[in-house]
Amino acid sequence: MNLRLMLVCAIFAILPALARGSENEVPEDSAAGIAFFETKVRPLLVKHCYECHSTESGVADGELRLDSRGAIRNGGTRGPAVVPGDPEASWLLTAVSHADADLKMPPKRERLPSEAIADLKKWIEMGAPDPRLTEPAANKPAWEKASRNFWAYRAPQASSLPRVKDRQWPKSPIDHFVLSKLEEHELSPSTDAEPQVLLRRLHFDLVGLPPSSEDRSRFLEQVKTGGLDSALAAEVDELLESSEFGVRWGRHWLDVARYAESSGTEANITFPYAWRYRDYCIDCLNDDVPFDRFLLEQLAGDLLPYDSESERSRLLIATGFLAVGPKNLDAVDPKQFHADVIDEQIDAVTRSIIADSVACARCHDHKFDPFTMSDYYALAGIFASTKTFFGTAVSPSNRIGGDPLRLPQVAGQKVLHASLPLEKVQALKSQLAKLRDEKQEMDDALKAVFSGKTPAKKFTLQDALRVFWQSGGIEGELEKVSDSGEALPLTMGVLEAEDISDVALLERGDIKKPGATVPRGFPQALRLEDQPAIPDDRSGRLQLAQWLTSRQHPLTARVIVNRIWHHMFGAGIVATVDNFGSTGERPSHPELLDTLAVEFVQNGWSIKRLVRQLALSRTYRQSSEYRHDSFLSDPENRFLWRVSKRRLEAESIRDGMLAVSEQIDLERPAGSLVGRVIGDRPVSLIGLDKRLPADLDGCLNRSVYLPVIRDRLPDVLDLFDFAEPSLVTGSRETTNVPIQAHYLLNSPFVQDRAKGLAKRLAQEATDEQRVKKAFVLCFSREPEEIELRRSLEFLNCETKSPGEPAKVDSRQLLSLCQALLATAEFRNLD
Amino acid sequence: MLSTQKASVPGWLSRRQLLKSAASGFGYLAFTQMAHQAAARDAAAGSSLLAAQPTHFAPRAKRVIFLCMNGGPSHMDLFDYKPALNQDAANGKGNLLASPFRFAQHGDSGAWVSEAFPKIAEKVDDICFIKSMHTDIPNHSQAFIQMHTGSFQFARPSIGAWSLYGLGTENTNLPGFITINPPADNGGARNYGNSFLPAIFQGTKIGTNQIPGFYAAFLGIDQEPGPPLKNMENRLLSTAEQRKQLDLIRDLNVRKLERDAVHPEIEGAIESFELAFRMQDEVPSLLDLSAESAAMLKLYGVGAGLATDRFGRQCLLARRMAEAGVRFIEITSPVGWDHHFMLKDKLDESCRATDQPIAALLTDLKARGMLDDTLVVWAGEFGRTPDAQSGTGRDHNNKGYTIWMSGGGVKPGLSYGATDEHGYQAVENPVHIHDWHATVLHLLGLDHTRLTFNYAGRDFRLTDVYGQVVGGIVA
Repeated sequence: MNLRLMLVCAIFAILPALARGSENEVPEDSAAGIAFFETKVRPLLVKHCYECHSTESGVADGELRLDSRGAIRNGGTRGPAVVPGDPEASWLLTAVSHADADLKMPPKRERLPSEAIADLKKWIEMGAPDPRLTEPAANKPAWEKASRNFWAYRAPQASSLPRVKDRQWPKSPIDHFVLSKLEEHELSPSTDAEPQVLLRRLHFDLVGLPPSSEDRSRFLEQVKTGGLDSALAAEVDELLESSEFGVRWGRHWLDVARYAESSGTEANITFPYAWRYRDYCIDCLNDDVPFDRFLLEQLAGDLLPYDSESERSRLLIATGFLAVGPKNLDAVDPKQFHADVIDEQIDAVTRSIIADSVACARCHDHKFDPFTMSDYYALAGIFASTKTFFGTAVSPSNRIGGDPLRLPQVAGQKVLHASLPLEKVQALKSQLAKLRDEKQEMDDALKAVFSGKTPAKKFTLQDALRVFWQSGGIEGELEKVSDSGEALPLTMGVLEAEDISDVALLERGDIKKPGATVPRGFPQALRLEDQPAIPDDRSGRLQLAQWLTSRQHPLTARVIVNRIWHHMFGAGIVATVDNFGSTGERPSHPELLDTLAVEFVQNGWSIKRLVRQLALSRTYRQSSEYRHDSFLSDPENRFLWRVSKRRLEAESIRDGMLAVSEQIDLERPAGSLVGRVIGDRPVSLIGLDKRLPADLDGCLNRSVYLPVIRDRLPDVLDLFDFAEPSLVTGSRETTNVPIQAHYLLNSPFVQDRAKGLAKRLAQEATDEQRVKKAFVLCFSREPEEIELRRSLEFLNCETKSPGEPAKVDSRQLLSLCQALLATAEFRNLD
Repeated sequence: MLSTQKASVPGWLSRRQLLKSAASGFGYLAFTQMAHQAAARDAAAGSSLLAAQPTHFAPRAKRVIFLCMNGGPSHMDLFDYKPALNQDAANGKGNLLASPFRFAQHGDSGAWVSEAFPKIAEKVDDICFIKSMHTDIPNHSQAFIQMHTGSFQFARPSIGAWSLYGLGTENTNLPGFITINPPADNGGARNYGNSFLPAIFQGTKIGTNQIPGFYAAFLGIDQEPGPPLKNMENRLLSTAEQRKQLDLIRDLNVRKLERDAVHPEIEGAIESFELAFRMQDEVPSLLDLSAESAAMLKLYGVGAGLATDRFGRQCLLARRMAEAGVRFIEITSPVGWDHHFMLKDKLDESCRATDQPIAALLTDLKARGMLDDTLVVWAGEFGRTPDAQSGTGRDHNNKGYTIWMSGGGVKPGLSYGATDEHGYQAVENPVHIHDWHATVLHLLGLDHTRLTFNYAGRDFRLTDVYGQVVGGIVA
């Protein structure tokens, strides 16, 4: 079993195989022979064979190792790989020369070059001189090698500015790194984009909304008078100060935090208090809470000092990060449920913050990365010593009750659920007491049956279910109000559990097979010199957060810097933004990523500061224009010879339509539709139960405030590639399918936006002015002559009678407006 | 080369030419006139890119229905009977797990099928089993992506997209590639994506929005909460008015594309809006299962609270789509197959949800004379180990597993290849994912070495530089 797992690792083994045998001279081998082995043979074996045939890789396919003198001569299942002096009898040569159709090595690759095969043959003829007398030490832990060798586990180092040929182009250190890479690949950067194109790009990237026509005129004027540099700097500063910045960038974090307002899976029970965490994230991004502090609050807010009740409340809400994940509320076994919650927390924390999942090591050591089962259960102990409050009541569709977390009373705090009259509270309490009595009788009856007596009273399964559901429901009701019936402020989140303890490693992840207890701690491969120790009476969440946000941590800063880069440029420096492990991609600009990460920490983990830096780089300012030669040499634009063209995210498409129709409501709504209306009714009945809203998109607020119900997203989010809310998602997909067109052409939502835009345009004096205004609003540019005439033709096509001044044809104008909202240009960025 | 053939298809070239000439400075009149001419031509020939294409040789199958078993079904418990495994497990050899299911031989072909699939067992004479599959990585996302695209490392077009690119569609009023209920994880949209192929070849996802079985039974609801596709009707504009609106959208998109020179997203939008317009007539009736007789619904196991309801609907939809001319239809099993624990109960549950619908699909296709030219594929991303995991389940196994195909030019009643005595490794006639891809394309009349697309100066293919058609299973 173990062997097979390791075999898998070998396929991916990216760590340079460092096999070094004994350096001792071998008596019977000549110095020339040894030299030949060292220069010609060893490198070949290391490069092409050790992956599947060495102690280092942990794999011996066909029971064959090639990493010692003894092993290569003893051979594997087929016999000796090398028979000194006899190439014909040496399987190694047969395999590499592809002489046997069933044994072609290395597998699934081109045959080795003929010179290499000739060298091996010659070596065998020479008697296979081989100084590797000592067997390599087996089973060095994978993490130890990895933390030494793998790029992402070494601390980032800032680099000095690389030399560039074109010294005029760079405007910031970033540009030096980018240009030097371009020059290295014989590419050149693109010219600056037009100011109006840049303005649209900036607005969508920073606040997720199009620039207004006033923004545009003001900006173009500033460019004219003060030049592009200062106009851009002023614009960027203004956008960073706008509260819409947090709406857009908070949403980026919510993608990573797999934020949602329901449990998902079959039961799919709503989380009516999840929205508090959503608002918290938006506020943090607006306040530019340092990223290390932001993480600290989300992982251990409940353990941080506070100087006011409102700060305490904020810190408790922050821990919602650990509670909003998907949960299998159908689980039959509460123990299994609990283990799954912990697993989900480990996965979300590691994947979101260090872009790798330790959760893979639940049942076996990580297949590709240096995380062991011990690492997993060390983290599991931390979360097992934590109580998660998710606030779902027991009901016919929910077997697992989850307490809500009570917040301190703070003035002005929103509470969405209703208070109860005192009589109602008392009635519920007495009902509950009765049910508990009944439960007691049932338990007694059960005990009687088991001990062979006749129970005093008989109960059916229905009785048992009724008592279970009803008590659960009432407990749920009572948890939401004070003794006098007043609605309590509640949230999702975590606190330290009553029992603080290490957990046992579970063999194959099976809760029925506990093994040795593992002390709470952090993954070995990422251990730091100054990492905090976990006190016996603490869960270790605070220390986990401190470890993750340590200035020495190799991954945390790199990962967030890369995520921010991804959002500004459409692709990360590490393209696999959620995977910095060995199966992830390598950075396209490693020195740049490291330098940015080091500076990010030095600059107090300020996200706004980094966004500003990127937005004002020359790299960001490039045009997105296609250049054929550059495309042929770098089709994915990994080296940034231009700015990549991007489709807008679902939220920006919807918010953009609301903005140009002047219908947008920028106010934050009270809570969420889930908390206000849906409550704890089953999500699956949306569309069938009349008490539930059929349309999840019935508001004019920004899209971040739409309900995020797992597996039941509002149409616009579902169609335009919203982040799957059950997964940590640093990079969204972009699909382009006809059902998106149906939404843009036929949905009442888009038609209503077209009406708004048409109403706005009707105020202009002439059709020509209407068309011009429409283009400026929708695309931040004036129409070309050809587009203007085509649009005018469309407006007048039915009604124009000669000599008569054109009146507003409201029906055609409406159709034109919708057409513009549906154009590809509206939802794409240049 | 098909890629050069493609370039000579009139619609394809004409739009390119149009864009080129428009970009070279024709005035407004030429612009709209040509755009309209192109549209008229497209409308006559169907969308240019989607138009049916000549194959490399005579096809055996015209369409594919891919029953995707997400999670890795256990071959030793379903189709790959291993008496030695049971015996050795009983003798306490190693950590082996005996199959908890009884096996029997079925049909004239005498194929072994476990008791978990009683209805599929009745169909074995129409089925060709490949019992020697293997793939590169025993990890869900990589294996799932490799099954769909051939490569788990790089973003590549999915097999559905390649098939559609190679063949075009039989019905230009519908997407040529539809995927029902695909998983959001394991690569998500990459598994039905177009990658560098034009966007029109991307799979269109249809969610089913069904309600959980226990609710349906509890409430007696057998309807879905909403149609799987919404917004098929325009409440404001007549069809003629909408066509005019669409012409304007297209002209503006074409002009944008002209300015951008190369911009696949815009090109895709132009194609997909035209397709969307044509779909409006056909889709609502296509998706309306109420048109099916009670007997047909019963055959597929559709009904409130039935374990088979969800997959039954999907299979029935798949047959309707196949009939309507959709080229590649993929449906993902709503129950998983990743049975690390409690294999006996959980595998049985998954089988019960899918057995009857799958058998019904084969029966129905055959009765309609469609099984001859429809290739039905049943496959997961890998199989499972003969070893026990946690005593009650099995781990992932990429070294040997079973898939099956039916109809569409495969030899019926055949079991091809074999794993070792325990079912761990394919030892006889091993078939790699690349070989299977090559074979599927072959059955569709396409030579996998000639079905290429030139992207950034290199000709790419589904099978990269690998793949051999498995001649032994072709009828």
